[in-house]
Amino acid sequence: MSEPIVKYNNVTKYFDDLMVLDGIDFEIQPGEKVALVGPSGSGKTTFARLLMTLEEITDGTIEVEGDYLWHEEDSNGELKPASTEHLRKVRSNIGMVFQHFHLFPHMTVLENIIEAPVTVKGIDKKEAIKDGKEMLEKVGLSDKADTYPAQLSGGQKQRVAIARALVMKPKVLIFDEPTSALDPELVGEVLDVIKDIANQGETSMLLITHEMDFAREVADRIAFFDAGKIVEDGPPSEILYNPQAPRLKEFLERFMSTQASPE
Amino acid sequence: MSFWDLIVSLLGQGLVITLLTTVLAAILALVLGFIAGLMRLSKNKLVRFLVSIYVEVFRGTSLLVQLFWIYFVLPMFGITMTALTAAVLAIGLNFGAYTSEVVRSGIQSVDKGQIEASIALNFTKVQRMKRIIIPQAFIIMLPNLGNQLIELFKSTSLVALITLTDLTYQANVLNATTLQTTQIFTALLVIYFVIAWPMTKGMKLLERKMTEGRM
Repeated sequence: MSEPIVKYNNVTKYFDDLMVLDGIDFEIQPGEKVALVGPSGSGKTTFARLLMTLEEITDGTIEVEGDYLWHEEDSNGELKPASTEHLRKVRSNIGMVFQHFHLFPHMTVLENIIEAPVTVKGIDKKEAIKDGKEMLEKVGLSDKADTYPAQLSGGQKQRVAIARALVMKPKVLIFDEPTSALDPELVGEVLDVIKDIANQGETSMLLITHEMDFAREVADRIAFFDAGKIVEDGPPSEILYNPQAPRLKEFLERFMSTQASPE
Repeated sequence: MSFWDLIVSLLGQGLVITLLTTVLAAILALVLGFIAGLMRLSKNKLVRFLVSIYVEVFRGTSLLVQLFWIYFVLPMFGITMTALTAAVLAIGLNFGAYTSEVVRSGIQSVDKGQIEASIALNFTKVQRMKRIIIPQAFIIMLPNLGNQLIELFKSTSLVALITLTDLTYQANVLNATTLQTTQIFTALLVIYFVIAWPMTKGMKLLERKMTEGRM
C-alpha cells in the first residue's frame, strides 16, 4: 500500500467543554473516495473542517502527504504549533465545497473561478481564464461565465463552487453535504458532476453526505461516525448490507424507513 | 437686494470654502474611518483599546468644541494652523470616529461563509480582506456612508465660528450689513438643500450601480 495522503493521529476536538472528536485515527489513500456518514452532531463535519483548517485542533496531529498540518517540528524535533506560512503551504493540498456554496457575490462566475488562481497562486490572468473556462465546460456552465451568482439556481451555484475548488488542483477535496441546501430536483445535476470528478480518479475525496445511494455509488469506503468516534469503517457493501455495530444498524434502519415512507 | 441677488452673492463668496471643507474633511474621515475600523477588528487588545479611546473621545464631545479646541487652544501649545486646516482636521477626526463604526459593522456583517471560502482557497488574511471582504462590506456600508456625507456637509456650517468664510459666515456678514434677515437665512436654507439633495441622489445611484444583478 502506498503512503496515505491524509493521516489523522489521535485527533481530539473540544468546543469548550464539549468533546466533538474523541481520539480519532484515520487514513485516506491517494485517489481514495471516502464517504462520512452518521447522525448530526456525530462529529463528521468537524472532522472534515479540521482538515480544511476551519476549526482548530485540540489534540493529536493531522498529516498531509507526510507534513504536519497544524504543527511544525522545531530544531529538536519537537512539535510546536504551525506558523501561518507552514499552515498555508500544507493547506494548499486541500479544497472544499460547502453546503451553502459561499460563492463571492460581487464577482461573476468566471471571476469567482479565476480569483484564487490569480491572487493566491499568482497564475497569469490569461492562462487562468483559459483554465477557468475549461473547468466551466466540465461542470456544464460555459454559458454562465459572465453571470453573477445571484442569478443562478442552487444547483448551478454548487457546480460553480465545485469548479472554483477544482481549478486550484487540490489533492484532497472535501464535500460538506453538497446537496443538502438544494431543491430535490436540482440534486441530480450536482451529484452527476461529483461522480464525473470521482471517476477521473486522481483527487482524493471526503464526502459528507446523507445520500446513501450516492455514497454507495461513488465511495470506495464509508466511515460511520457516532458520538465523536468512527464506529465502523469499510467498503460500502460491508457498511450498508452487513453492518456490525448496533448504532450503525439503528442508523441505517431509521434511514431506510424515512426514505421509504410516503410523504 | 432681491432674493436672487442674495443667493448669487452668498454663493459667490462662500460656496468654494464650504465645498472645499466638505471634500477634504470627507476624504480625511473616510481614510481615518477605514484605518480605525480595521484596527477595531484587530486581535491585538492594545490596538483595539487605543482606537476605542479615539472613537469615544470624538463621539462623546461636541464637534463645535473640538473645532474651538483645535483652532483656539492648540496654538497655546505652539501648534498653529489656518482656519481651513483646523476645520478639515476637526470635522475629519469627528466624522472619522463615526465612520470607523460604520466600517467595523460593515465588515462584520459580511457572511462568515465568505471567510471560510477564502480560507479553503488559501487566501492570506490581507488578500481576503482586500479582494473578498471589503468589496462586499463597502456595498453594505454605502447607505450609512451616504448619510454621513450629508451630515458632514451640513456640519461645515460650524466652521463660520472659527472665522472660515463659508456660506454661513457670508450670510452672517451680509445680514449685518443689509439686515434682510428673513431673505438671507431663507436663501441659505435653500442653498444647503440644493447641494445636499443631489448628494443623496448620487449616493442612491452609486448604491444601485454597485448592487445591480449581484445581491
